[in-house]
Amino acid sequence: MTQDVHDRPAISTAQPEDFFQLLKPRVMSVVVFTAATGLVMAPGSMNPLVAAIAILCIAVGAGAAGSLNMALEGETDALMRRTRGRPVAAGRVRKNDAMAYGVILSLFSVMLLGMNANWFAAGLLALTIVYYAGFYTLLLKRRTPQNIVIGGAAGAFPPVIGWAAATGEAPWQAWLLFLIIFLWTPPHSWALALYSAGDYAKAGIPMMPVARGARSTRLQILIYSLVFVASAVAPALVGMGGMIYAVVSVGGGLAFLGLAWRLYRSRAGDESDKADTVGREAALYEVKVQAKPARDLFAFSILYLVALFSAFLVEAIAGLGV
Amino acid sequence: MRLTPEELRARKRRNVWIAAALVAFIVLVFATTVLRLQQNQAAERALLEAATTAGPQ
Repeated sequence: MTQDVHDRPAISTAQPEDFFQLLKPRVMSVVVFTAATGLVMAPGSMNPLVAAIAILCIAVGAGAAGSLNMALEGETDALMRRTRGRPVAAGRVRKNDAMAYGVILSLFSVMLLGMNANWFAAGLLALTIVYYAGFYTLLLKRRTPQNIVIGGAAGAFPPVIGWAAATGEAPWQAWLLFLIIFLWTPPHSWALALYSAGDYAKAGIPMMPVARGARSTRLQILIYSLVFVASAVAPALVGMGGMIYAVVSVGGGLAFLGLAWRLYRSRAGDESDKADTVGREAALYEVKVQAKPARDLFAFSILYLVALFSAFLVEAIAGLGV
Repeated sequence: MRLTPEELRARKRRNVWIAAALVAFIVLVFATTVLRLQQNQAAERALLEAATTAGPQ
């Protein structure tokens, strides 16, 4: 990452694509999806253009938080295979540029959401950005193995913001959506961490497998999976989800628990992946037989979350939900 | 300070995108203003109609 001052270009050679990458587009697409679900599920009608602008603001706000995260984490990102290609870590965008970009987009997105929808939703968006970039990135990430548990709240806010943008309030139904994503985050993130623990150790991040070991992590994944699946099924029990949601949440939940149990019984993460940390980028995605249960749970967790929110969305559009 | 062709090209591309983003922002603020005005006018009309229907007290 570091370049000799004489090798460094006089001005930045960053391309617009690099600035787009700073927004973490894949995370942003999940944010758009979950925020749109919250907005559509909220009672009452909303002008489609107002709704589209609100979703855009939430997406840009989330992207701004991603940019601030990359600016603050450039040096750490450069040490890990999964993140070393990021614009700041790879030296394509300067840290201060990424920081200024994140701050400006944060201000613009919050301000526009306030003017377009309401200031309650805008306040929640501002809180999410500060929570992720300030609280999680600066304070939690390097200090506690519970980093992802507490920090997961940042990723859980978008459906609440979407709901608030539509109605100006955040009732318990919106917080149930929050709870689903909040409880989904630990098993999802720790499954990934189980097969990339070497990277986290090298970067000095106390992810659960690094701090407490693989065995304890597998047990905690199983416990969180039980609580998460219970929260995912809850909307069907309280009448917030209809028949489609009930089938998806129960069926997918059983599969999720099956994969979590298989992971618990496996030896995923037991073997150090030191060999992987040296050399090839592709090694991260080459799954060792032993780590396959972790990889399977990680992949299925994404599918299950998308399926849950798709069911909510379909039922809300068809008028079957809430 | 003399810039290399690569630096000049990168700067030009960034400037084009900044201009596009600023125009998009202006359009969004304008659209928001118009939509807000419409909403407020509709609310005001509904209030007036309600007052008219209720008749003089």
